[in-house]
Amino acid sequence: MHDVIIIGAGPAGLSAAITCAKNGLSVFVMDEYLKPGGRLLGQLYEQPDGSWWNGVNESSRLYDQALDLGVHVQLHTPVNNIEKTDTEWVIYTEGETYYTKHLLLATGAAESPVPVPGWTLPGVMSVGAAQVMTNVHRVKPGERGVIIGVNALSSAIAMELKLAGIDVACMTLPKLSQVTDHAAQPKTVLDSLLHVSHMAPSQFVRLGSKLMKNDFMKKLGVTFYPKNGVKMWDIPIQLRKAVVEIYGDGQVEGITLANVDTNGEVVPGSEKKVPCDFVCIAGGLYPLTELAAVAGCPFYLIDELGGYVPLHNERMETSLDGLYVAGNITGIEGAKVAIAQGETAGLTIAQNSGVDGLDREIEESIQAIEQTRNNAYIQFHPHVKKGKRLLQEQWEEYVALSDKNVPNQYV
Amino acid sequence: MTEKDMIVCRCEEITYQDLVETAANYNCSARELKLRTRAGMGYCGGRTCRCMVDKIAATLESQKQTQITLKYQPPVRPISFGNLGGQEK
Repeated sequence: MHDVIIIGAGPAGLSAAITCAKNGLSVFVMDEYLKPGGRLLGQLYEQPDGSWWNGVNESSRLYDQALDLGVHVQLHTPVNNIEKTDTEWVIYTEGETYYTKHLLLATGAAESPVPVPGWTLPGVMSVGAAQVMTNVHRVKPGERGVIIGVNALSSAIAMELKLAGIDVACMTLPKLSQVTDHAAQPKTVLDSLLHVSHMAPSQFVRLGSKLMKNDFMKKLGVTFYPKNGVKMWDIPIQLRKAVVEIYGDGQVEGITLANVDTNGEVVPGSEKKVPCDFVCIAGGLYPLTELAAVAGCPFYLIDELGGYVPLHNERMETSLDGLYVAGNITGIEGAKVAIAQGETAGLTIAQNSGVDGLDREIEESIQAIEQTRNNAYIQFHPHVKKGKRLLQEQWEEYVALSDKNVPNQYV
Repeated sequence: MTEKDMIVCRCEEITYQDLVETAANYNCSARELKLRTRAGMGYCGGRTCRCMVDKIAATLESQKQTQITLKYQPPVRPISFGNLGGQEK
């Protein structure tokens, strides 16, 4: 039996594994994917200092370090259930069943779908799938694509597609419906777009974003948003147009684009066809919490963190004995934050396993998370810090109520 | 193709119109919407359409902050009956 089992071999899981192993614990990491690295694998961007952040290299660096420290990593292993007995956690996979005292969930995030008429045609994929095809498997998803959904993730991936020599015809919004709501509202989208504008090489977008930091200017910005869009990395970003349909006979042949008013409503008669051979749907990311849910963790819905997150403290402990979380399961942020969280989780697990003298290191690692967050190049949600504060408050409230043994709202 | 024919749950082939009409007719919760239409009950376990079923119901039902509206149940990944039952291979 291993001292600790980690589900997820992404940046959070691997850094936690490294930290645990350095403290003398025997570690077993499992992941459902065929390669280690998780979502980190797809990342590729130029940092403010001019160096490149290459997710493939970062993943192998973490993976090799883990292996050198004797961490046992098993890929291709989806976990379908976890449960707690009196003394330990039981992890069920398709083949084997595993047991451990300390279980870390580093399951990351999943992409939210945005349904558009025609989205079941071959050639339509999530923007993350296009990223994995391009950066991990080195396969072009197509020759000319359209990205539906404008947000931090899709903007970063649009740039990566350009780097790979793939033509991106435009980035635009889905048509407003009961299932697209925020993603189809020009003002909401513009708001989130302003937070990635520092990545844009276009002087216009950079200057524009400085001018539009207040609500009144944003409204004006949407009202006077150029009909042909603003270009970012040479890709037209259309906030006043929406995709009403993806068309094609047996596969994607193009999209029908229509003008929309400032509230996202389609202007009838303004439809135009844009030919393309693939379409990426970008609905953003949400924390992948299935296992925390089946284990019985209390949750709280925090939009700033991407959805429901399991309650946990700064040491990355959940309210369930021996169950920890790290990475995007705790809220959508970049890989560097996930690595920092993994370190904290690893140290906490080591301390709870009986390793002495880690108090100061844990305290420092908690501060390092905060620092990494402040320096993050890509902010997935503009108010992620507010979300983290809210989560901390909920945790404290939960602990206070459980200490008093009062039946509370979470039960 | 228009919005009403758009498939939301691919496994059970449930359209946007099926969901919106059912939600309106029965003024129902996400769970009831799932049970009435079977959206989210196919072999993928609702991994694609869960958020959409939630959203369509949420326009009627105020979302609960502390409770996930559609419950997660094991197995959370597809598994064969043989493996689930622990049958000898």
